[in-house]
Amino acid sequence: MKKKKMHISQETMDVEMVRKVEQLSGTSVRRCFQCGKCSAGCPMATFMDHPPNRIVRLLQLGQWQRILAGRSIWYCVSCETCSTRCPNQVHLASIMDALRKLSWDQDGPSKESYVQLANKLFLQNIRTYGRQYELRLAAVFNVKSGQFLKDMMLGPKLFAKGKLKVFHQKNKNISEVEKIFSRIDEMRRKGEAL
Amino acid sequence: MSRIGVFICHCGENISRTVDVERVASQASLMAGVAFSTDYKYMCSDPGQTLVKKAIAEHNLTHVVVAACSPRMHERTFRKAAEQAGLNPYLCEMANIREHCSWVHENREEATQKAIEIVGMLIERVKKNRILPTITVPVTKRALVIGGGIAGIQAALDVADCGHQVVLVEREPSIGGHMAQLSETFPTLDCSQCIMTPKMVDLANHPNITLHTYSEIEQVDGYIGNFQVTIRKKARSVDEHKCTGCGICITKCPQKKIPNIFDCNIGMRTAIYVPFPQAVPNVPVIDRENCTMFKSGKCGVCQKVCGPGAIDFTQEDILITEPVGAIIVATGFELYTITEKAKGSPIKGYGEFGHGKIPDVIDGMTFERLASASGPTGGKILRPSDGKEPKQVVFIQCVGSRSREKGISYCSKVCCMYTAKHTMLYHHKVHDGQAYVFFMDARVPGKSYDEFWRRSIEEEEAVYIRGMVSRLYQKGDKIVVMGSDIAVGVQVEIEADLVVLATAVQPQKGADLLAQKLGISYDKYNFYSEAHAKLRPVECATAGIYLAGACQGPKDIPDTVSQASAAAAKVMALFSKDRLEREPIVARVKEATCVGCFACKKVCAYGAVEEKEIRDRQGNLLKVIAYVNPGVCAGCGTCQATCPSKSVELDGYTDEQIVAMIEAL
Repeated sequence: MKKKKMHISQETMDVEMVRKVEQLSGTSVRRCFQCGKCSAGCPMATFMDHPPNRIVRLLQLGQWQRILAGRSIWYCVSCETCSTRCPNQVHLASIMDALRKLSWDQDGPSKESYVQLANKLFLQNIRTYGRQYELRLAAVFNVKSGQFLKDMMLGPKLFAKGKLKVFHQKNKNISEVEKIFSRIDEMRRKGEAL
Repeated sequence: MSRIGVFICHCGENISRTVDVERVASQASLMAGVAFSTDYKYMCSDPGQTLVKKAIAEHNLTHVVVAACSPRMHERTFRKAAEQAGLNPYLCEMANIREHCSWVHENREEATQKAIEIVGMLIERVKKNRILPTITVPVTKRALVIGGGIAGIQAALDVADCGHQVVLVEREPSIGGHMAQLSETFPTLDCSQCIMTPKMVDLANHPNITLHTYSEIEQVDGYIGNFQVTIRKKARSVDEHKCTGCGICITKCPQKKIPNIFDCNIGMRTAIYVPFPQAVPNVPVIDRENCTMFKSGKCGVCQKVCGPGAIDFTQEDILITEPVGAIIVATGFELYTITEKAKGSPIKGYGEFGHGKIPDVIDGMTFERLASASGPTGGKILRPSDGKEPKQVVFIQCVGSRSREKGISYCSKVCCMYTAKHTMLYHHKVHDGQAYVFFMDARVPGKSYDEFWRRSIEEEEAVYIRGMVSRLYQKGDKIVVMGSDIAVGVQVEIEADLVVLATAVQPQKGADLLAQKLGISYDKYNFYSEAHAKLRPVECATAGIYLAGACQGPKDIPDTVSQASAAAAKVMALFSKDRLEREPIVARVKEATCVGCFACKKVCAYGAVEEKEIRDRQGNLLKVIAYVNPGVCAGCGTCQATCPSKSVELDGYTDEQIVAMIEAL
């Protein structure tokens, strides 16, 4: 990503969005004094364009677009090492969650991200079948992401071990699962959930 | 015939591990003049000292050599023990067989041999020791405090409360110093005036304090306990005794457009003025450079309106001499200015910040005056150029400080905290404004300091940006600040309405000249040097002179007040005795051989060398020679080494003693 000069003013600092992130994550970004411990221990930091500490720093400056323009939040594996070790009790893993949620809602620049696609398909499957249907997930993901032969060679091994079923297995209480989803949808509409 | 006692210490195992102490003791007993020799595990302990005392009495010893640690450690201990046993303390010497021998050697045989030789040297030396009488000098129990800021006020009050007379000299027309200029003070946001002015009134009303404002130190003579200080009371043009402080002269003065230095030149004052309404004493002074009467001889309005007739245009500077026993120097600081400096000055200005030509680029003290309820804007934050309320304020820390390029490599210590305070004051006064701070490090050690700094960010919403500003320039009515956020790794640009620079803390102008008058040492920045950075932080190397506040180094108010009270405690300890005892390790001049070249006078760091006239019985002047004042001499020995005719001797370290030591090897 090109490093663009940052023009800081009350207009360019989107404090409202930062407040939303703080509210969603239940943690304060202002507390961070940039010690760097989160980035030091992050197992995924080497893959990220913005290391975790910089994510918080950009939030402090209200520059969330810069975060969503990158892929860092999708590389986060929610291991929570950062949150556990933070000296200022900044729950960075929750912030990452909140940012992913915002990115989703915003049709963010990382909408095309495979991670997001995978997440979406994963949940769709759960909603439809009440449990995961791996074969469909893999097939649809490969088609939608345009990588038709991705991980194809793993298929026979997984079949042999019984990890991939040809037909889906429906959950007996599918209506209960649907209730969960629709309740969350309802809560989202009211703004009570992520 | 000397009867020397030799006492060898094991120092637990510190010495006996590498030195065969029994053998040293038995060898020493064979040396000429030694009447008694023994060893003991801890010679400095109570039984050890008793052993020394008993031996002195039982064996009728005339000299004592204790072979143990460094004399810096326990010389006083053993000299005191010898004195208690009836011996002159200066007939007791220490042989250092720990730092100089056991600690630095491994071979036991060689170390033992060396220890024997060291003891032998000291035995020969102690034979040449003379009985030295303790020097006593009288103490004048009055203190002089130079500077009427918070340091000087605190020190003066502490000494005066102990019942001693204090003379306080302040250069400005009022006491109060820089603290009187501040709006609120960190870390509790107390109003500075509220905590400062009662102390100023206490000082002015104190029966033991004589206050000389608008006065400067002209000359300092004498030495600890006996200084003679000449004070120049500058012509105020107003009789302090007649003036009632009604202020009518100020309201009537036609010259109203003179920038008020107290308000950092933002506000205006008249030619006859008090620097601020709460001034102590509340007596105006006429600024002769700007007064029409002094410029053209016409006006005199103040004289006409003054009821008590206090205005006196003919007043002249007067010199008064005050005898004092101790001096506390509390001359404080001034702020670095970013304007271009004169050629030859080691400190440069800031071209990248506009050399002080952009009106809305101000320093921290100016911001204090803007935020102060008694300031020129009545406590409203209004920028100097057009009086508008700034909505985007950029604070820049470390301006001047920590910059070798600009000539100041030290940290000014208070800026991190006062910038945090400024962002809070700004946020309290301009709710829809935003404060930005460019900083390199936040150096906020101190009780409740880090919490205070974090509060400015977490609760008062200041945006701190780590990284220094490279340049700023005027663009329309905005100031474009170009910096970088090194945590993000991008360049940052802010269009600010007002820029506040946390400029470096420097000693007062002329601090070096005052130091030369006082005979105290100062560093390359003109901060006064303490005698020991850790263990004697409020004393000068020159006896009888003490330091308080920012004249010794950048300091905040809590530190300054602590140091002022510490200096006062030192003065009180000095005043607790009628006569002052001094160690008699001082230089003496052999009058017969001194030719009066005064090479010694030039090298003496303490000003101890005086001129003495030698006359015959008829009173004819024979020659002028050097005389070392034992009250001032610190016993450093520089004069002894310098004297071309070998006419100066340092008692306790005479050539005779040193040669005897060398010959014993």
